[in-house]
Amino acid sequence: MATQTGTVAPKATSLQMLRLQHVWRRKGERLLIYVLLLLVALMALLPLMWAFAASLTPNAKVFEYAFPFSLRALFPVEFTLEAYEALFARGFGDALKNSFWLAGVTVVLGGTINALAGFAFARFEFRGKRILFLTVILLPFLVPVDLTAIPRFILVNTLDWRNTWQALIVPGLGNSLAIFLFRQFFEEIPQDLIDAARVDGASWMRLFYNVVLPLSRPVLITAALFLFLQQWDAYFWPLLVAPRPELRLVQVAISSAVEEHRTRWNEQLAGSMLAAIVPILLLLPFQRYYIQAVTSSGLKD
Amino acid sequence: MHIRYIVLMTVALLLVVAPLAAQEATTITWLNCCNWPSEEVIAEFEAENPDINVEVETVDFNALFEQIQVRLGGGASDPDVLSVDVPVTAGYGLRGWLLPLDDAFSDEDRADWLPAALAAGTYNGELVSAPVSTSTQLLFINSDLFEAAGIEVPGVDDRLTYEQVADIAAQLTQDTDGDGITDQWGFSWEQTVRIYQLQPLAVGLGGQSIGDDGLTVDGVINSQAWIDGFTFYSDMFNESRVAPQDDTIGTSDLFWSGKMGMMIAGPWNINRYLREADDIDFDWTVARHPYFENGEVTTPTGSWHIGVNINSDSPDEAKRFVQWISTGAGAEAWWRRGSGDFPAQQSVLAQFQTDEEFDEGVQYFLRVAADEATVNPDPRAVSPGYLEYEQILQDAFQDIRTGADVEESLNLAVTRIESEMVKYRG
Amino acid sequence: MTGRERYIPYLFLLPALALIIIFNLFPTIATLIESLHGNSLVRGGRVFVGLGNFNRVLNDPVFWKSMQVTGLFSILVNPIQVALALGLALLANSKVRGITVFRSIYLLPVAVSINVTTVVWGLMLNSEGGLINGILNLVGIERQPFLISPSHALWSIIILATWKGVPLWTLFFLAGLQGIPQTVLEAARIDGAGRWQSFRFVTLPLLRGVLLFVLVADTVANFLLFAPVLLLTRGGPQLSTNLVMYETYRRGFVYGDLGVSSAMLSLMLLLVFAVIGVQFTLLRRRA
Repeated sequence: MATQTGTVAPKATSLQMLRLQHVWRRKGERLLIYVLLLLVALMALLPLMWAFAASLTPNAKVFEYAFPFSLRALFPVEFTLEAYEALFARGFGDALKNSFWLAGVTVVLGGTINALAGFAFARFEFRGKRILFLTVILLPFLVPVDLTAIPRFILVNTLDWRNTWQALIVPGLGNSLAIFLFRQFFEEIPQDLIDAARVDGASWMRLFYNVVLPLSRPVLITAALFLFLQQWDAYFWPLLVAPRPELRLVQVAISSAVEEHRTRWNEQLAGSMLAAIVPILLLLPFQRYYIQAVTSSGLKD
Repeated sequence: MHIRYIVLMTVALLLVVAPLAAQEATTITWLNCCNWPSEEVIAEFEAENPDINVEVETVDFNALFEQIQVRLGGGASDPDVLSVDVPVTAGYGLRGWLLPLDDAFSDEDRADWLPAALAAGTYNGELVSAPVSTSTQLLFINSDLFEAAGIEVPGVDDRLTYEQVADIAAQLTQDTDGDGITDQWGFSWEQTVRIYQLQPLAVGLGGQSIGDDGLTVDGVINSQAWIDGFTFYSDMFNESRVAPQDDTIGTSDLFWSGKMGMMIAGPWNINRYLREADDIDFDWTVARHPYFENGEVTTPTGSWHIGVNINSDSPDEAKRFVQWISTGAGAEAWWRRGSGDFPAQQSVLAQFQTDEEFDEGVQYFLRVAADEATVNPDPRAVSPGYLEYEQILQDAFQDIRTGADVEESLNLAVTRIESEMVKYRG
Repeated sequence: MTGRERYIPYLFLLPALALIIIFNLFPTIATLIESLHGNSLVRGGRVFVGLGNFNRVLNDPVFWKSMQVTGLFSILVNPIQVALALGLALLANSKVRGITVFRSIYLLPVAVSINVTTVVWGLMLNSEGGLINGILNLVGIERQPFLISPSHALWSIIILATWKGVPLWTLFFLAGLQGIPQTVLEAARIDGAGRWQSFRFVTLPLLRGVLLFVLVADTVANFLLFAPVLLLTRGGPQLSTNLVMYETYRRGFVYGDLGVSSAMLSLMLLLVFAVIGVQFTLLRRRA
């Protein structure tokens, strides 16, 4: 555009100007991007920074600078590890272990059975497929699990599963969202691969295990994330069916900092920080898989 | 020979094992509130009762009610024993969730409980929840802030009027650094929206908590006494602005951070101070619960009871535990080493007036509080629909606190509560 | 398929579906059936009341107010979250140095549970002098009554739900963006498409699948959400945050009135079905 209107300037200068303009524009753009990136990062981090600082502060000092708020509140007041020490003295380590075990078992078992179901929905035509998908997969997905807890509780109680691991594990295995993600991913596996294996005489189970699963690492990891977080964040259900101290889970342990007339804020926030670290450690290294799970699934179009 | 040998062995084995089996302890579970420390008290009970194991499940206050709804409503046999907030006794009794406990207690046991507590634990003439603790409220005072503002600090036995409290609170409310945000508040109630704590505002002016039938609220909670009492409440938050409208940071957290001059709060704050004393660096004291200049002195009361699940597999053991912890040495242990709340037994409560340990210092405040607990305590409404009543009033108080019209809010509460109470009428 | 083959899909389905039927579908249906029953507290026991509970609910002004709040909440929160997630994904897809660090930071809220999110944001949004008002005060904006004004409280719930919810959806959009072949975008540029045009006519159509998934999943997640209301505003002030799910919870688990609670849940479910149906048809038709 500048060249077309640039009747005065010689051609070379005009090109130089254009390039300079271009460089400046790109620099300005990059600056803008960084400013935006930083702003968003700040918004993501600010609550966590305050929570972390407060977890390193004696309980009576938590609001010293936080109300009314001043920037000083983003740093610990009279630095202390007492909240973390108190947490572990109350068995937080066991709760972490329990939650990790529960979430781990759920990921392995739940991942397997939901993948199988997702595969059936993706690669088979069978009678009742649509209606099964609507009623069994979609309907329970639209209702908050906590609000249907009473019949589920009576069921688990009748099975005599109270205060057992299976009461925590089994009801959380079948997961609509995971089945849906698997279905979308499996639909995109090239038919040729499946046909080839079938011609070689592989059974469907063998095909699933040898052909499909090796291709499915991204969606396996994504579904695992959902299953993991669901059990990691569980609070209401575990309190109902497995209140015994030996089975205490991490969110329940955090809530024990809430007394009748006082909250041990520093302890509650310390527990929350520790509880957040585990999923973060699982999230970050696998980022690219989450991305692949979507890019190579039917979700993309 | 061979067979006889086996029979002999079996009999011998049975003789050895039988006493062992008989000695094996029965385990009962106790669904307890609020993460109170209970290990020491349970150990004491188990030492005296080797045939019973008590397993404690403790949850926070809000979770307790859901747990009871689902577990007892679902017909589960556990928990065997449960902590019951006094005013829900009638509701649980009506639903048939609690085992009658009359045969577990002697006449002396009953006579020793505070009469109001005994009455509150009774449904349809049967004792269904045994009183464990009672409560009261005091005016907590940050003496340093009073002195800095040149206000005379009241004595421990003084009783201010609400009008005086409002006046002092206005002087204490300050924006010390001049940035336009109040950083020192005058006054608030510890639980800003709970009927437990706010009831004296209306009852002190001649109001009633609920109609005599335990169901009617129209003409009761929108009476002139309620409107006047809650207009005072509203003014503290909205007119003079001496109390923070937003309670996400709790009153007691503000007080113990040194940012609030006065609060009406429970004596459990004395225990809180003792636990955090190292980090609290201001002088404080207490005074008696305030009253309206033209009204009566009345104080909040009521606390925790304990009941037995109707479906418990071990009702006898459960009853023995309930009897132990709600009377005598058990009640004293629970107060001293458990929840720290005042015991509901008069003989135990009397120790506050006689024991030397309460003669001075912070401990003396407990003696004052224990005495205050006997000054015209006014129990909460007894109603099968208490939970609905409390929740809806909570909404109304929250609205009033944040600026809604007092009369409209109370009238709305009347409409809502009346429509919930329909199901409890014949 | 041969006769034996016909059973194979059912074998694949069996474990997951059996568990979902037992532990999810059955409790859901049992809860919905409860809406036809009442606890006759006077006569004792559970009795069939037909549509009595629905009658009560439909004549209850509190329920209708909750429906309004829920409708307003959905209309606001879903477009905001989806747009923000998409915008953030575009930002996080920029090819600048250190972008992976930023992406990692953006993911952090996913790891924080909703209860903790609520507690921390409640303190930060405190109307008298919380962190956000502190910052506003520093830049000379007057104190906002975030949690205490009927016109602000719902927005506060939206803010904290967005902080917690958006990062996960950003990840999905980011994946969708990275799945778009660079050559397609090059081609658009050569054809003279501006930035907005190539986003509008190339990127967006290629993201439709992800968009539909995120929109539906986000809508459902927000319909189910009530923990922040329970822990923070208790439905107030003046019922301005009284979402239907919270009212349902309150009736069922606090008042112990399961019949009315289930009737509300059933009505709510109809609404969710309708909204999701509309979303599907609208986005499918444009495909």
